[in-house]
Amino acid sequence: MAMIEEAEREGGGGWTRGFRDLDRVLRGESTRPSALRGGSIAVAPGRLTWAVTVLCMAYGACMGVFAVLSPGGPRSMQVVASMVKTPLLFYLTLAVTLPSLYVLNALVGSRLSFGSVFRLLSASLGVNAAVLASMGPIVAFFSVCTTSYPFMVVLNVAVFAASGFLALGFLLQTLQRLSVARASSSAVEPGADDRPSGPVPPMTDEFARRRVRLIFRIWMVLFGLVGAQMGWVLRPFIGNPNLPFAWFRPRESNFFEAVLQALAALFS
Amino acid sequence: MRGTPAVTTPSLLRRADALLRDLPEPDAIGASASWRSRLAIVATFGALYGATMGCHGGRPLQATYSAVKLPLMLAASFAISLPPFFVVNTLFGLRDDFRRAVGALATAQAGLAVVLATLAPLTAFAYACGLEHRRAILLNGLTFAVASLGAQAILGRSYRALIAADPSHRTMLRAWLGVYVFVGIQMAWALRPFIGAPGLPTQFFREDGWTNAYVAVWNTIAAVFAGS
Repeated sequence: MAMIEEAEREGGGGWTRGFRDLDRVLRGESTRPSALRGGSIAVAPGRLTWAVTVLCMAYGACMGVFAVLSPGGPRSMQVVASMVKTPLLFYLTLAVTLPSLYVLNALVGSRLSFGSVFRLLSASLGVNAAVLASMGPIVAFFSVCTTSYPFMVVLNVAVFAASGFLALGFLLQTLQRLSVARASSSAVEPGADDRPSGPVPPMTDEFARRRVRLIFRIWMVLFGLVGAQMGWVLRPFIGNPNLPFAWFRPRESNFFEAVLQALAALFS
Repeated sequence: MRGTPAVTTPSLLRRADALLRDLPEPDAIGASASWRSRLAIVATFGALYGATMGCHGGRPLQATYSAVKLPLMLAASFAISLPPFFVVNTLFGLRDDFRRAVGALATAQAGLAVVLATLAPLTAFAYACGLEHRRAILLNGLTFAVASLGAQAILGRSYRALIAADPSHRTMLRAWLGVYVFVGIQMAWALRPFIGAPGLPTQFFREDGWTNAYVAVWNTIAAVFAGS
C-alpha cells in the first residue's frame, strides 16, 4: 500500500509522469511480485489516464489521415473527430463494463477492492494504448498510400485486435501475479502458524481465485463486444470517402455486420 | 578526427566485408559510428543496386530515381516498423536487449544492401543482353529473394546469442519479420517504378501510385480466376 500511496503522492506532475508510470507498467516493474505485495498495482490511475488519452489521440490522428487524403476531398475535421473519439471509445467502454465486473468479482469472493480493479484495468488500458499508438505510423503510412476504404477498415480492426489481445494477456498475467502475491502475503501473516490446520490446505481460496479468473475472462469477452459496438456507435473514425463528414452516423446495423461487409468488399 | 572516422569508400568496403564475415568492425569505433556505418552501407550499396535496377532501357533519369528510392524504401520500412517492435519488446521484458536487437536488425538490413549490390553486375549483364521488361521484373524479384535469404542468414547469426539468452527473442523476431514484410511490400508498391515500363514516361512516382499493393494483387488473382 505504501508504494501506491507514494505513486499517488507524486501526482500533479501532469502527463509526463503518466508516461513514466506507463513505462514502468510496460517494463513490468509495476507488476513484479515484490511490487504487488500490497495487493494492488502501484500506479496512479489519474496520471495514467493522461498518458492513455494522449496515446489514443495520437492513434486517432493517424486513423483520420485517410479522410484528409481521400478522393472525396480533404476532410480535416475527421482528424479532430477521431482524436476526440478514440480515447472516448476506451473510457466509455470501461464505464459501461466496470460496474458489472466489480459486482461479479465481489460476489465470487474476490479480495480485490474497487480501487485495485480500477488500477489493474487502467494499467491494461495503458498497455493497449501504447501498442495501438506504436502501430499508428503504420496505419498513417497505409492511409497515405491507399485508396481502398475496406482495406483501411480491416487494417484498423486488425490493429485494434492485436493491441487488445496483448492488453488482455497483460491483464490475465497481472491478475495471476496478484493472486500469488496475495496468497504468499497471507501465508506469512503474523500468527498464521498458530492456527490449527490439517496437512492439506483448505481449498476455498484456490476456488475463489479460479472463479475470479473466470469472471475476468468473461468480462474480457464482454469488454471486447461492448468496445466493438461502442466503436460502431461512435463511428466514423476513418471516414468513408463516399459519404460527407459527420460527427456521428445514424444508428443502424452493427459492428460485426460492418466488418463482414468490409471483408466481402475487399475480396469481391 | 580519429574519434569519428570518416566513412570513406575503402573503409566502407572493409566494413561491408566485416559485416558479411561476422568480424568485429575494422576500426575501434564507438556505437554511434557503428550505426552511421550501417546507414552508410544501406545508402551506398542500396543506391548502387537501385541505379542498376533503373538502367533498364537506358534511361539515366530512372536510374537516378531508383538509386534514391531503394535506400529510401529500406530505411522507411525499417523506421515505420520500429515503434511496435519497441513496445512489444518492452512488454515481453526484453527492453534491456533492445539496443542489441535493433543493432542485429540494422546489420541484416545492411547485409541485404550488400548482397543486392553484389548481384548488380549480374542484373546489368542481363539488361545488356536485351532482357525484356517483364523478365527484368522477374529477375529483380529473384535478386531480392536471394538478398533476403542472405539477410536472413546474417539476422539468424546476429540473433543467436539473444535467443540463447531469452527464447522470447525468437517470437519477437518472427513478429518483426511479419510487420516489416507487410510494410515493405506496400512501401515498394508506393515508391514504384524502380525499373520503368518501356511504354510509360520516366517518373519518380506513378500518378496512380497511391493505391494498395494487397488490393492490387487480390484484384489480379480475382481477374485470373474470373477469366478462366
